[in-house]
Amino acid sequence: MDVALSKNGARILKAFFALVVVFLYAPIVVLLVFSFNKATIPAFPLSGFTLHWYHEFLSNSELKSSLKTSAIVAAISSVGAVFLGILSAIALVRHRFRGTGAVSALLLSPLVIPYVVFGLALLLLFHTAGIPRSIFTVVIGHIVITLPYTILVLMPRLQQIDVTLEEAAYDLGAGRVRTFVSITLPLLLPAVVSAYLIAFTTSFDEYAVASFVVGTQATFPIYLYAALRFPSNLPQVIAVAVVVISISLFVVIAAEIGRRVAERRLGAEG
Amino acid sequence: MAVEARTEQLAEPRPRRRRYRPSMSVPGLLGLPVAWLAVFFLVPIGIVAGYSVNLLSFGSVFGPASHGFTLQAWHDFLHSGVYLRLFWKSVKMSLLVSIAIVVLAYPLAYYLALSGTKRKYVLLLLLIAPFLTSYLLRVLAWKVILGDNGVLNSFFFWTGLRSPEHPFSQLLYSRFAVMLVLGYIWLPFVALPIFVSLESLDRGLLEAASDLGASRLTAFRKVTLPLSLPGVVAAFLFVFIPTIGEFVTPSLVGGANGYMYGNQIVDLFETGFPDWQTGSVLAIFLLGVVVLLTLVFSRFLQPRQVTAG
Repeated sequence: MDVALSKNGARILKAFFALVVVFLYAPIVVLLVFSFNKATIPAFPLSGFTLHWYHEFLSNSELKSSLKTSAIVAAISSVGAVFLGILSAIALVRHRFRGTGAVSALLLSPLVIPYVVFGLALLLLFHTAGIPRSIFTVVIGHIVITLPYTILVLMPRLQQIDVTLEEAAYDLGAGRVRTFVSITLPLLLPAVVSAYLIAFTTSFDEYAVASFVVGTQATFPIYLYAALRFPSNLPQVIAVAVVVISISLFVVIAAEIGRRVAERRLGAEG
Repeated sequence: MAVEARTEQLAEPRPRRRRYRPSMSVPGLLGLPVAWLAVFFLVPIGIVAGYSVNLLSFGSVFGPASHGFTLQAWHDFLHSGVYLRLFWKSVKMSLLVSIAIVVLAYPLAYYLALSGTKRKYVLLLLLIAPFLTSYLLRVLAWKVILGDNGVLNSFFFWTGLRSPEHPFSQLLYSRFAVMLVLGYIWLPFVALPIFVSLESLDRGLLEAASDLGASRLTAFRKVTLPLSLPGVVAAFLFVFIPTIGEFVTPSLVGGANGYMYGNQIVDLFETGFPDWQTGSVLAIFLLGVVVLLTLVFSRFLQPRQVTAG
């Protein structure tokens, strides 16, 4: 006898699980269906298949430049966040020092701050210091909010890496940098990649903070938000939505598979 | 540092270990991250606090100059009642959403952790994946679905279940829409901490309960539920904390009815008559509540709850 669930209980929970999954994916399927629909207003009945909206968004320069801006912001800010994350994670995992609690509380605190508060706080900082808003002000904000995620991903992996490997390299004459580059970093790499992807996707999708500190060059979420408030070219936006959601689902799944494969391999070696 | 290391080395029975210093010193490692957060996180919050008590004001360069310390804006905030009522409304909406989805997510996490299914990580990924796709685009989907002439209504007209003269109005631009969308967005994420706490549950305890004559329900009430409570509290806070200050979803699907405290803060900074001082008071108050919640429940907010799996 199973102590946690009866047969019927398991069946009911399975059905419930399936129901929730349908609820979670149905809106995405709705977008998919209407991205191929001819009518300019998404409504039933369906009025025929078209690829028009995909063609149209591919020639929408405003939209494309916002995607490019977001890609640049995400690429830079995630490199920054991962770099700071690696430094923080090494300090927190490999060293014992006074005030560990306070430091890790500070490093993780951006996780709980309401983005509306952080966004306007940054706005006031840049205003007070006389720094004009640009994509770099967005990058600065995104590094702050993604840093805790990178630390949370890197720390557990770093804890698993055997210190004696680093000691061995050091004893054999490798310097600090050499030890880090040829021992620690390769072992940490799966987590670095996960951290980078999480930081990248978070930044790429971030609207709340960006809305306060963005300059004239709109990021993709900023463009999207404006398009959502005044839905004159809704079908186009739906087509973009389908592309972006598909890519992010693909990346999420690929990253997860990659991480498992890499960790299994490294686990076998260790 | 060097002297300290040397004395430790002498005290240590295995000196070889102590010689090993492959990474930089703590200040070298933490200097940059801590400085970054000090300058771009703590100082900005200090500036907001400064604005809220008029040490800084709109248009000033650094320095208090002609601006004097006053708690007037705080006094007005606490006595007018308008903003506090709005705050309370947002708290109620956010509470309702958080409780509802924790209740919905619990059986999902229970199924994944305890049904013995072999594909639990695949199913977990299936559940979480939507959370990792674009937030705004998921809001967009509901806007398309819920509108008066949207997918849902037009489906009912088309199939004749409802006449076009009588659409289900109030679906979009309502408090209901805001709560539905917030629930939709956060549901996958909430399952995670609950899953982690159930996953780490020792099944031996359930077997012991069963051997001692407890029914499954009793075992659940006396063993599983209490042991998974930290995960439940964490899940609740992970949704409740970010949704109290929510302003994006209400501004897209909320209309006047779904207006939340976060929208008020944005409006005080961005509309035709900006009032940065009052806006800063609202922001610091919200931050204070969130910090208080975090401190009170900090023992439930373990980072490992979102990293496992």
